Formats: sequence, C-alpha cells, structure tokens
Amino acid sequence: MVEFSLWDILRNLLLAARWTVTLSLIAFVGGGIVGLLLLVLRLSGVRGSGRAVGAYVQLFQGTPLLMQLFLAYFGIALFGIKTSPWTAAAVALTLYTSAYLTEIWRGCVAAIPKGQWEAAQSLALSFYEQLRHVVLPQALRIAVPPTVGFLVQVIKGTALASVIGFVELTKAGSMISNATYQPFLVYACVALLYFALCFPVSLVAQSLERKLHGNRH
Amino acid sequence: MATATEAEKTAQSGTASARPIVEITALRKSYGANEVLKGIDLKVQRGEVIAIIGKSGSGKSTLLRCVNGLEVFQDGALTVNGKQLLHDSPSAMRELRQQVGMIFQGFNLFPHLSVGRNIMLAPTLVKARDAQAAAAQARQLLTRVGLAEKFDAMPDQLSGGQQQRVAIARALAMEPQVLLCDEITSALDPELVGEVLRVVESLALEGMTLMMVTHEMAFARKVSDRVIFMHQGRVHEAGAPAELFGHPQTPELRQFLSSLHD
Amino acid sequence: MLVALDFSAVLSAWPLLVRGVAWTIALTLVGTVLGLLLGTACAWARARNLGPRLPPLRWAVAAYVELVRNTPFIVQLFFLFFGLPALGLKLSPEAASVLAMVINLGAYSAEIIRAGIEATPRGQIEAAQSLALTPGQVFRRVVLPPALLKVWPAMVSQIIIVMLGSAVCGQISTPELSYAANLISSNTFRAFEAFITATLVYLALSMLARRLLTWLGVRFLVGR
Repeated sequence: MVEFSLWDILRNLLLAARWTVTLSLIAFVGGGIVGLLLLVLRLSGVRGSGRAVGAYVQLFQGTPLLMQLFLAYFGIALFGIKTSPWTAAAVALTLYTSAYLTEIWRGCVAAIPKGQWEAAQSLALSFYEQLRHVVLPQALRIAVPPTVGFLVQVIKGTALASVIGFVELTKAGSMISNATYQPFLVYACVALLYFALCFPVSLVAQSLERKLHGNRH
Repeated sequence: MATATEAEKTAQSGTASARPIVEITALRKSYGANEVLKGIDLKVQRGEVIAIIGKSGSGKSTLLRCVNGLEVFQDGALTVNGKQLLHDSPSAMRELRQQVGMIFQGFNLFPHLSVGRNIMLAPTLVKARDAQAAAAQARQLLTRVGLAEKFDAMPDQLSGGQQQRVAIARALAMEPQVLLCDEITSALDPELVGEVLRVVESLALEGMTLMMVTHEMAFARKVSDRVIFMHQGRVHEAGAPAELFGHPQTPELRQFLSSLHD
Repeated sequence: MLVALDFSAVLSAWPLLVRGVAWTIALTLVGTVLGLLLGTACAWARARNLGPRLPPLRWAVAAYVELVRNTPFIVQLFFLFFGLPALGLKLSPEAASVLAMVINLGAYSAEIIRAGIEATPRGQIEAAQSLALTPGQVFRRVVLPPALLKVWPAMVSQIIIVMLGSAVCGQISTPELSYAANLISSNTFRAFEAFITATLVYLALSMLARRLLTWLGVRFLVGR
C-alpha cells in the first residue's frame, strides 16, 4: 500500500484548486456581462423584457444548480456539439451567475430614490443619459458588496461541476480520497481549501457593506 | 352670472392680450379610480409669478408636475410656449424640459457629483456645451445664488438651504423660460428658509416666470402676481394676493387661511 | 440538428419520480424544522442584545457559521458521509443527507435570525423585563416572533435554497428527485428528457414551497 503524506494530498488538491479558481472567474465575469445586458434590457422598457428577464431569473433561482449543470452537459450534446464537462460547467455557471447578478443589480437600481430619476428627467436628460450619468453610478456603489458576496456562491457552485466529471477541487478530493482511503482527512482538506478561498472574499464583502452603510447616514 | 364668469376668467388669465407661456385647459388627472385634478383651466403669462396654495391632497403638486411631464394627465391640454405637451414623444419632452425647469422639495442633488458637476451635467449632455463654458456658467450661477466658493464641494457637505440653492442654480443652467417650485422650502429648517426665498425673489424681480406651490404665505403675498387656491382638485379661487388673502370669497379659503394662523 | 426528444420513457417511470419528490419533501421538511431550531439557538447565542455573555460560546458559533457558509454543501455532505465512518461513525445516506441539511440551514438561519433579533427595539425588551417575564419568556414571546416575521422572506428564500441544494444528496444514493432522474436517465438513455422533467418538477416545487412558506409565516407569526 502506497503511503500518502499530507503534503501529497494537499499538493494534488492545490493543483486542482486552480481549476476551481479559473472556472469561478470565468463564470463571474461572463455572468456579469450577461447580467448587465439583461439589466439594461429590462430597464429600457422594451415590451415584455421585464417579464422575460423575470422568468429567466425565476428559472435559475428556482431550480437546482446541479440540474442546470446536467442540462447543460446533456443539452448542448443534443445539438451535436461535443461537450466536455468543462464547457458545460462554464456555460451553466455563467448563465446561473447572470441570473443572480441581474437580480441583485435590479434591486440596487430600484433602491435609487425616484427623486433622482425625476431631477434628471426635469433637466431634459434622455433615458440613457439618466441611467448612465445619474442612476447607474449611484447603483454601482450599492451593488459592490452583494456582488462581491455572490462571488462566494460562485466558488461554492463550481464544486458541483465535479458531478459532471470536471476535475476541480471536489472531484480531486473524491479521487484522492478513494486512492488514499483517508476520506476524513482528504475532505477536511478540501473543505479548508474552499474556506481559504471563500472566507477572505466574504470578509471583503462584509467590510465593503459596513463601509457603505457607515458612509451613507 | 355672466359678468362674474368673465371677471373670473380675466382674473385667471391675467392680462388677456399677450400669448400665455403656459396654457392649461380642462386638465384632468386620476390615479386609478381617484380623480385628483378635476378640470383645471389656467393661463400663465410670461414673467408672471403664480403661487399655488391649498390643503395637502388638493392636487397642487400634481398640477405642477403635469407641467413638466412628470405626471401624465388623462384629459385636457397643456401647452408650453405654444407647443402641446406630448407624453409619447421623447424628443418633445426633451424640448419641453429645456423650457421648463423644476426645483424639488427634497432638492434631489446628485450625490455622486460635486456641486459644480451637478450644475454642469445637463448643459453638457443636452445642450452640448463644452466643459469650459459649462464650468464658467456654473460658477457664475453659483455666485448668483451666493455659493461661489462651493464649486468643488459634495452635496452632503452642504446644509439644506445651500443644497436647495444649488438645485436652483442647476435648474437655471438650462436657461428655462418657466421655473416650477414644488414646496421648495418645506423640507428646510426654519432658519434656512430665508436664504432660499431671497434667491427666488430675485428671480421673480428679474422677470422669470414662476409657478410655486408653497406654504409660505407671507412670501406668496409679497412676491406673487396671482395666487391660485386649489381645493379638491379644482381651482377654487384665484386672484391678486391682496384680494385673495385680504378678502377670501369662499368658506373653504377662509377656513384654510385661518387654519394657518393656529 | 436536434435529436428527437422522447418523454414517454421518462414519464412512464413516474413512480420513481413520485418517490423522489416524496423524499425531497421529507428531507426538506425535517431539515428545515431541525435547522431552524439549531439556527435559532445559535442566533440567540450570538445576538448582541441578548443571549449568554459567554465569549467562548460566541466564538464557537461564529466559527461554525463561517465554516459552513464558506464551504460548498456537497463537500459538507461528502465529509459527513465518507469522512465520518473513518472515525467509526457510519451514517445511512438519508441520515447523512438530513444531518448535512440541518447543519447547513442551521448556519444560514443563525445569521438571518440574528439580524432579526438584533433589530428588536430596546424598549420592547425592557418593557417585557419590567413585566417580570423570565429571560426565556422574553426571548420566546416578545423578541422571537417579531424577529422571525421581519426576516421571514429571507428565511423562505434560504429554505428554498436548501431544498434545491438537496439535489446533491442523490450523489450518495439518497432516493430523492435528482437520484430518480439519474436512475431514469441510465435506464432509458434519455438523459436530457429525464433531467428536464426533474428540473421542471423542482421549479414547481420551489414555487409552491415559496407560496406555502410565505402563507405559513403570515398565518403563524402575525397576531400571535
């Protein structure tokens, strides 16, 4: 029986953690771009856009991420496109993130007092000018803490990609646990590595939140 | 009967000869089933100062907000400077709002922009004024309202009275023909009201057309050319301040005026 | 282009789906009740305006909460199911699933409820104390109900998140809905149809659960 040291385990987990980080960033940035487009679409007042985006959000918030991953994996294949777990995970997580972010940001825009919109309108600014110069800059400030906070959810979400075969931190953990017969140690390490990734982000989000509310009133 | 209505009409429209700058005809507005404006007729002449008074819920603010299109009315017509108000046309609304400026009870300064930038924003975007010219104009307007040194200050560093004066400067930067003032001193501490009213008075003396919803009766009496008393969505009484305040004709106005002295 | 979809094979396996739904609901029910109890206890321990003034307890709860909130549920589940047996504690898939859900919801609800408790106006607590209520009574009768009512929408959202998260429990063979979908998928080779069906059922479940839970909040938390 091969003896595995703690360092062996950690080293392999850390290597896999690169993929966790990569996938998280791709989903977060991609989801942010899609989410922003959806937000502007919704705000623009195009007929039906509110309901359509609302349904999109409801779909992703009302179904398990695991199912979304499976559907991406098997669904894209239906179109004859070869899906690797990586592609499916990237697509699913990007769309998942876009739904949550667009909803968070919609809330932030809604928090801007009506008076700001009215003052901008009274100064003859067009809708896009109102949005770009008056509303969005203010909404952005409010949006930073919850957006950063959601990054934590994305990182945790990448763990599910292991189920469709993508080798990130959790999958590596399963594999190593099977190889070393030390599931307690291995999964404890996996948990601690996720903690090491997520906790600092959580702290930053919390401190941003405090700074924001300390500032305002 | 006929002479009374004619006299009413002349009182309402001021000098009947010149083309009114704001013309409101049979305006009706409802919020759902609740009719808030029940047929308003009003003509405002260029350079006239109109004070609109009445109890809360009488429709005063709503009427004012109809003039610059913040509220949509269901029936009647509203013309500013000869042009009909068309809610559906963004370009018409943009044009309208360059003619009509508004000052709000809550100031509504843009908190993320400095005082100077607050004033410069609209002229730069809407009138395509270049930054230097806009800045120069902003400084000049700030001097006019007595806040020359506050160009780089942020709104949250200013008192309420100062913020409201900046709001006035901001509206003036668009060189409007008409200024709408919606209870602009109601949110201010009493000692700050004077500085704002002084600016408004100077605007009136310069010949700006003003429509003010106000609770400052002494100010209204002093500065306005005509006072409109609104009650339950209608113009209940209208006339020169001395007439209206001195000899209220209807029991509702008498009751309103006496309630203010409590 | 698009391969023809065939739902008949999936739908004919409806008993499996029903069993899956039943298990999902059962897991969520037990997990929610116990999770809320745990969360309330933790919230009380950590609340700044009441609770025991025991720093070690505060720290322990804080550590628990941060650990759970900053690690994925699937890892928590695997740790309990695969990791604990190494210490001699072997759990059935169902037990591990419930335990994981309780621990998970406990941590999240601790924070949510704590926010509600800390928002209690000081005067309420003082009035209750002045009426000679015991600390336990003050907490249970005066502080907790308004706190829960205030945070109920956030709580409902969190419960639904946990319910949807239970889909992961199928990975350790708990016979809930995602497990059923996986089973049907491997039996019929109709993976997409199986998962779409399960997804739509989850969507229906989450919408119903939201309505039900919101109604429960109004019914039981208001006017007590």
